[in-house]
Amino acid sequence: MDLVCCWHKEVVEPGGCPNIGEGEEVLYTSYQRRVLEKCIDCPNFRNDILKLQETGHPLGAVVPFLVGEVQEQRGRLQSMGSFLDSRDREIKFLHEISLVLQTSVDLDEVLSVVMTAITAGKGFGMNRAFLLLADKERKLLRGYLGVGPRDYGEAWGIWQEIQQGDFTLKEMAKDFYQTKLTSEKQKFHDILERMTIPLADQNHVLVRSLREKRPILVENAFHNPDCDHSLVQALGVDTFLITPLISRNRRIGVIISDNCITHKQITPQDVQSLETFAFSVAFAIERASLYERLQEELLKVTAANVKLKEQQELIVKMERMALVGKITSSIAHSIRNPLMIIGGFARTLLRGAAQDDPKREYLESIGQEARQLEEVLEDILNYSDSLYPTLDTWDVNQLVSSVCRELNGRLQERRVACRLRLEASLPPARIDYKQVAYCVRTIVNTAMERMPEGGEIRAETLRENGWIVVEVWVSGVPLSPESIEAMTTPFGSTEELGSGLGVAICKTIMEKHGNIFEVSTPAGGGTRYIIKLPVNREETQHGTIAGG
Amino acid sequence: MARLLVVDDESGIRLLYSQELADEGHEVATAATAAEAVERIKESEFDLIVLDIKLKNESGLDLLQKIVKERHNLPVILCTAFSCFKDDFSAWLADGYVVKSSDLTELKEEVKRVLAKKGK
Repeated sequence: MDLVCCWHKEVVEPGGCPNIGEGEEVLYTSYQRRVLEKCIDCPNFRNDILKLQETGHPLGAVVPFLVGEVQEQRGRLQSMGSFLDSRDREIKFLHEISLVLQTSVDLDEVLSVVMTAITAGKGFGMNRAFLLLADKERKLLRGYLGVGPRDYGEAWGIWQEIQQGDFTLKEMAKDFYQTKLTSEKQKFHDILERMTIPLADQNHVLVRSLREKRPILVENAFHNPDCDHSLVQALGVDTFLITPLISRNRRIGVIISDNCITHKQITPQDVQSLETFAFSVAFAIERASLYERLQEELLKVTAANVKLKEQQELIVKMERMALVGKITSSIAHSIRNPLMIIGGFARTLLRGAAQDDPKREYLESIGQEARQLEEVLEDILNYSDSLYPTLDTWDVNQLVSSVCRELNGRLQERRVACRLRLEASLPPARIDYKQVAYCVRTIVNTAMERMPEGGEIRAETLRENGWIVVEVWVSGVPLSPESIEAMTTPFGSTEELGSGLGVAICKTIMEKHGNIFEVSTPAGGGTRYIIKLPVNREETQHGTIAGG
Repeated sequence: MARLLVVDDESGIRLLYSQELADEGHEVATAATAAEAVERIKESEFDLIVLDIKLKNESGLDLLQKIVKERHNLPVILCTAFSCFKDDFSAWLADGYVVKSSDLTELKEEVKRVLAKKGK
């Protein structure tokens, strides 16, 4: 029989088979491979088999059956290979994206990666994607970010750009995060605004996707009665895919993706791939959100710690002050009576002494020194007194003018000009009149002591951010920060400030009752004492002013 | 001239007050405790009591209440080192109030004022 194909030859001479090309020379000698790879598809082989059938050769009936089976199996293998190749690419892509997602804790960075992966040709290749996040406090699903072209012109521009630069998905996501995120949020602002859906709306297709924890491919959307008409209008497409984002049973949000430009069909393969991708996306978004909240909480905790430390320091300081107050108060009481007796008898003796008695000078000195010590004791006892304030509603203008009037004689004696500038419509303050009057008096007295050559004092009242402010400005050389510190700390006085206890007590009394006491040196010169008292809001509205 | 009773647990102060008030022309008796003061008031008639708020182990305010209750016409001047007692309602029962000082001018003025008010 004249057989044309080389299928029956063990070895073929070069050029003996028209189907063996360059680089396949090994098939000349490899009989099995040549038959399976070349002969089985060769027309000559098919003709040879026909000849066999015609001659009634038994192989003529079997071979076509075997060839058909081999070809079918080979087709199946090729199809499976192609499927595996595509799966392999997808796994590699998901792996790459997952690595990026795992390392990022910045929510916007995560979203940039996600949205780039969905819309890039190297990713899932969808034309457009919208992300809606669940606002759990307000129980809403709200449009957060949209990515993709708005029209064909823009799409063409984007594809041109992508083609010109061969970027990896990671590079594209990075570029998107750094340069396009803000503008992209703005670009779809109108559509995103219309994407606000109550999570309680169980019939809404987006909420249904979350509830059923499965993607929903919406087709024929304009005529689909199950679809929210306003959502379809906003998207402007007939077909779109809803992919829920769920992390450990928590509803994170949904992604809506479509092919609004190319109108390419969304295949079941696309649906399945995006569903797989959504697991890691939901987890990454939740982690980034939690990290953001953690950062916020951390900031709060840090601030609270700083405040706590300040409070602890304040408590330590207050305890020290309270202890100092207790001790000094106790000492003051125990020495007050003997001191009074000494000074009192000195005065008695002085009254009985003759004018030319040389002892008069000693007695006068005893009397004066005793009186001075009594004044120091008075300061100390005032400090103890401040522990028990008697609060009432008072007119601060009246208080300031009353104190200045009381001290007018001494001010004139020391050639100190005292000017008042009182705000006319000052609201009442809830204060212990006696204590605040003591503080104003002490400030003026302290100022006078530092003005042997005379000077000027300006007492002013004003309203400032919910406080009534009493400002006493004193002319002369400004106090140094050390002197101010010493002056406002009990028993921290410098020698030239006299006993100095008065101002420290003022500060303690004021701060103890929630008022503010400050001493500062303004740029224009002199020293400024500031007392800030709370406005009595209740009384401003309804009541009257005690002693006003 | 008026009859005064000085009640103070400090002997030095009793002596000083007696001396000074006597110099003002008054007849002065003294008591160191509340019980002693009650005895004195029972024994003799006084025009005015000068009372220390803080007596040893007892309160002058309790004595003040007793005096006001039993002898409501007998004026009392409270005398103390504690200026905060001015805020105590009980202290308001007194006819006068002075903070202790080696300069007795204020006390003497207060004695004069209260006695004048009582027509003495």
